[in-house]
Amino acid sequence: MKKLRVLFMLTFSLFLSFFISSKTDFVHAASNKQIVFWNPFTGPDGTNMQKLINQYNKTNPEYKVKNVSLTESDMYSKIPTIVNSGKGIPDLQIVHVERIKDYVHNGLLDSYDPYLSQFPQIKGKNYVPEAWKNGKYEGHRYGVPLDIHTTFMYYNKDLVKKYAPHALDDNIVTFKEIEEAGKKSQKDGITALGLTWWKPLFLSLYGQMGGKLTKDGRNPTFNNATSKKAINLYKRLREEKITSQDGQDPMQLFLTGKDIFFPEGIWMNNQIKEGKIKYGVTNMPQISSNPNKMVNWSSSHQFVLLKQPKRSKAKTKATLKFINWVRLHSLTWAEAGQNPASLAITKNAKYNNMQQSFLLSNKTEQNSLTIFDYRYNGYLADYLDRYAYDAVFNKTSISKYLKKMQNTVQDEVDAQMAD
Amino acid sequence: MKTKQNSVSKWTSFIFLLLLAIIWVVPLLYGVMSSFKSNIEMQSVGFRFLPINWILTNYSRLLQNTSNTPVFRWFLNSLVIAGGSTILVLVVTSLSAFAFSRLRFKGRNTLFYFLLSTMMFPAVMNIIPLYKIMTFLGWANTPWAMIFPAATGALNIFLVRQFMDNIPLAYDEAARIDGASDWQIFHIVILPLVKPVLYVVALFTFTGSWNDFLWPSIVFSDINRMPITPGLKLLQGMYVADIPTLMAGAIIAIIPTFILYLVAQKYFLQSMSLSVGVKG
Amino acid sequence: MEDMLNTAKTAENVRTKSRNSKPTKSHPLYYLLPHLIIFSIFFLIPLVFGIYVSFTKWDLVRTPDFVGLENYKNILFSNSIFHDQLTSGLWHTILFVLLSVPFCIVVPLLLAVALNTKPFLGKFFQGLFYLPSLFSISAVVIVWSLIFNPNYGPLNTLFHLNQVWTGTQPWAWMTIVILTVWWTIGGNMIIYQAALNGISKDYYEAADMDGASSWSKFIHITLPSIRGQLLYTIVTTTIAQFNIYGQPLMLTNGGPNGSTSVLMMNIQQNAFGSGQSLAGLSSAMAVILGICITVVSMVQLYLLRDKD
Repeated sequence: MKKLRVLFMLTFSLFLSFFISSKTDFVHAASNKQIVFWNPFTGPDGTNMQKLINQYNKTNPEYKVKNVSLTESDMYSKIPTIVNSGKGIPDLQIVHVERIKDYVHNGLLDSYDPYLSQFPQIKGKNYVPEAWKNGKYEGHRYGVPLDIHTTFMYYNKDLVKKYAPHALDDNIVTFKEIEEAGKKSQKDGITALGLTWWKPLFLSLYGQMGGKLTKDGRNPTFNNATSKKAINLYKRLREEKITSQDGQDPMQLFLTGKDIFFPEGIWMNNQIKEGKIKYGVTNMPQISSNPNKMVNWSSSHQFVLLKQPKRSKAKTKATLKFINWVRLHSLTWAEAGQNPASLAITKNAKYNNMQQSFLLSNKTEQNSLTIFDYRYNGYLADYLDRYAYDAVFNKTSISKYLKKMQNTVQDEVDAQMAD
Repeated sequence: MKTKQNSVSKWTSFIFLLLLAIIWVVPLLYGVMSSFKSNIEMQSVGFRFLPINWILTNYSRLLQNTSNTPVFRWFLNSLVIAGGSTILVLVVTSLSAFAFSRLRFKGRNTLFYFLLSTMMFPAVMNIIPLYKIMTFLGWANTPWAMIFPAATGALNIFLVRQFMDNIPLAYDEAARIDGASDWQIFHIVILPLVKPVLYVVALFTFTGSWNDFLWPSIVFSDINRMPITPGLKLLQGMYVADIPTLMAGAIIAIIPTFILYLVAQKYFLQSMSLSVGVKG
Repeated sequence: MEDMLNTAKTAENVRTKSRNSKPTKSHPLYYLLPHLIIFSIFFLIPLVFGIYVSFTKWDLVRTPDFVGLENYKNILFSNSIFHDQLTSGLWHTILFVLLSVPFCIVVPLLLAVALNTKPFLGKFFQGLFYLPSLFSISAVVIVWSLIFNPNYGPLNTLFHLNQVWTGTQPWAWMTIVILTVWWTIGGNMIIYQAALNGISKDYYEAADMDGASSWSKFIHITLPSIRGQLLYTIVTTTIAQFNIYGQPLMLTNGGPNGSTSVLMMNIQQNAFGSGQSLAGLSSAMAVILGICITVVSMVQLYLLRDKD
């Protein structure tokens, strides 16, 4: 019987050693002539990104691109670990622009500077200024923008005709116009403004009022008269029943024709289309009808190079070649509802027929796209997503809400590991 | 008279059970029905139990859309993970339980209660270091990241040991007299007798692994390799306002555990009564 | 050395076998080792390392910076936001335990008693009540968020209410407790059923002779007989509910105004949130949660111990 026992132990240890030795990371498996490209496009836009990459690979480049889509939160928790381990680092990476500053501080990024001279077309003049500007930090270029994605406002055409016939004459819908429309429409059980994603709604308004996230780049400055005023405006509109109420699903209201204005991301357009209502799109709600004061909350997906211990010159060049190719072929990306950051797209007739194209159609619109860049944006975003409308829906007072927001981010910044 | 009282209590029980059963079954049936509705119907019709138009597109959409929500792939991944966990747990647990139940050695009880008491620590304490260990081993995004942690638990050993303790020692002694070794006693005498409780352990492990949520959503980032439970969370992000599609996903996800339950059901009472024995 | 011992042992085995009087002994370690190895690598080492991390500042990436008791001072005695997170998170967790554990014990007990009378369709009912425990938390939340949906959920549309169930208190807690009871009672029910099955009918017949009421039979015969199982389920259920995470995360997102934010949510967000990880602080909170769970289980075991 000893035989059997030994046999058992043997298989078990084999079992163990086999698994311990099978350390094949899926990134390692990639061949040398491949650009491994990580991105967070797991939604419907992932299909468009895959299409774009297939298109590129069909041009028979020396280095083909391999698409790896990861879920956003997991991708972000993986990046620091993988860069520090020095193994399995992707050759090209998409991150949200707000991440760049923190990544530079933590030594996670390589700069594009040594390569840019060979790609003269990758330059500010060819990109939307706001997206291009934020890819640069402390004098070095770390990000090249893929897109600039904005929240704008969908509106129900029939309801606008009925309750706010002139609101869209200048393509700027003010809060005042929404309020007037809402006073009329609420008698028919129609909501004027859907309260959707709080973060862009709040930040757009805060930005219009001149609010700043930080003064010194480190400490947050959220608790002030401006932010109070911004939340108060939403709260008042909610109390007057101009906006959707707690528990109502603004998406459902809009899709069933019970909501006039619906601020949401441009990337939601394909989903709204399935709803079969007649709708148009315009800028986010504004406090002023002066077009130069417009603010539309935006963010940007940026191509970055994660720090590699031994960066291959040839491969990096091939990577930039791909980035440059995307600059000229971003129509597929626009079809996902997105706005490519490359200005080349604005000359494409197909693109100009897309609803979101008005945001890039002229300098004024382009200037309205605002990226709220702050090194500790992650902490702020977590707070805004978690506590969302609690002050607007009167579950806490505005001053308590803002005080807690300020303290949370401040304490989290202070508790961080030193750089 | 006794039988009359008996039938009275039988009927009051039945009515009580029926009332609660309605609460239990309505959400479920309504969920199933909703998975056959279109999203527009769901949102505009208000409450209606049965769909007006029965559709299968919610299911076909999930099973087709393979690049962003590879539901079928997730399903297979989950099968591999849950199946692997179950096999490993059965092997490891029955061996350990045998030692604790049948072999005499110094510190046996101390070790046993030490193992049991560690189960009180919340899983979250281990998660952060465990994540580091998995990335170090290169096991993040592989089934091993879930299979091995599943076999750490001592609760299963407790269940199987209790069951074994109820098997009379006379069986072992008879086998010993015939010259059987410990190993033979284990796999020829004891193992067949504890089959019922092993079914229960298998069911617990399989469903536990299949339904685990916090850990896989941290350790799996590759969309093609993740199991179905964190996959459902992804789906929730994608179909925010599309409850019927979400419901279809949820229903696809419960099929295997449901089947396993049907198989293991008859062993349930038998083994639970012996395992969580009168002494507890 | 080990080999020599083994050979010696084998020799002895052979000898004993030939005499056919004493049973062969194998080393218990062969049987224990597989579990102990896995247990050490994937549970014990992470646990110890987790406790160490709670005395450091760490971003999950670089080498942890040892800071002594700073994290504990920060979460226990300062007036920082982390102190708030710990106290309110812990309070909400305890509140949930107090609200849900009684139901998770009493409801399955009643079901088991009813099923024990072997009523019509008993097997079917048993299967039905166990069914939800097979579902993952994400599936369960999807099902119940439809029921509680304020706009087209059956609860509001059927009874013509206009209640935001998951967004106002005390309803938010109620939804979480209902969902939890619905989801988790199956296991306890089966345990009680098995226990009730094991009680000898003689006790009841003797009580019937004395003319005892059903209630007094329940109190004096049933409950004492299943004492062991009650203890077991109370302790395991309490531990399970202390680990609450998925229900508030997906059903209420911790709201309204953080009133259902449980400690696990804060721990998870601090360690794996969007900003740089605060893994050290987060581990310190986890250690405190662990201590609470251990203490509560010990107290329960002490209070409910066999008094003999």
